[in-house]
Amino acid sequence: MRETRLWSWHLLVIPIIIVLLGLHFAVMHYAPVFYGISVEKAREFETMIERGKSVTQLVLYILLLAAALYHGLYGLRGIIRELPMSPALGKIVDYSVIGLGLFIFAFGTYVTWWTYSFKIGG
Amino acid sequence: MNSKPTSHNNRLGLRGWVYAGKYTFERYLYLAHRLTGMGLIAYMILHIIETANRMRGVEAWQGLMGLFASWPFKIIEYLLFAAAVFHALNGVRLMMTELGFFLGKPKEPVYPYSSSIKRHRPLTYIIMALAGLIIILGGSSLFFP
Repeated sequence: MRETRLWSWHLLVIPIIIVLLGLHFAVMHYAPVFYGISVEKAREFETMIERGKSVTQLVLYILLLAAALYHGLYGLRGIIRELPMSPALGKIVDYSVIGLGLFIFAFGTYVTWWTYSFKIGG
Repeated sequence: MNSKPTSHNNRLGLRGWVYAGKYTFERYLYLAHRLTGMGLIAYMILHIIETANRMRGVEAWQGLMGLFASWPFKIIEYLLFAAAVFHALNGVRLMMTELGFFLGKPKEPVYPYSSSIKRHRPLTYIIMALAGLIIILGGSSLFFP
């Protein structure tokens, strides 16, 4: 049951990733097509900070971070666990993947929060 | 029946990814799905670390963005885009399969056999053609803005 639940989450986060990653691509990589500004302008420090100070962006980026990390690391864990290994090593893989995911999530959230709380000219 | 996994369950290991008899087109898509997935998660972790460079100030950020504007990085960025598009669209196909869509109704196994994979294949070709089209169009706007 636990594995079924984890697998269901792996599938359920897909629509979130598609929508939010699509938005991320549109803002950062296809700015000339969707926003009429150059990619260089979209990637300028001031533009990035200005975007990052929006609550919507803060929430959406943390949501994308959580969804993409879960989907990716669950997939990676499945690939590794499929290889021949002892149950003890399997447990180590599980805990390592969880640890890596939590660390990257905490770090990414901190960077997003740093951008949100950045004081322009301060 | 002993359902506990043993070390013999996947005796081919990584070799089995590439060849273990006659693999179908879908099996190679599955392999590409894994490879692009691993590439994307590796890139995502690196991407989070490199964009944290903003905390080192304007110069560090602009220097990094200048590096990304160079041709080698543009090509890497495009490959990542292509991997993401392929992984997403093939994932949609896998989800449809998982949920039982476009597999046809179960039939008696009478020769010549009509497998669910064959019934699903036209959709596979359509989705892969769509992925190819998006990858080409994405490249045209990335390289020729």
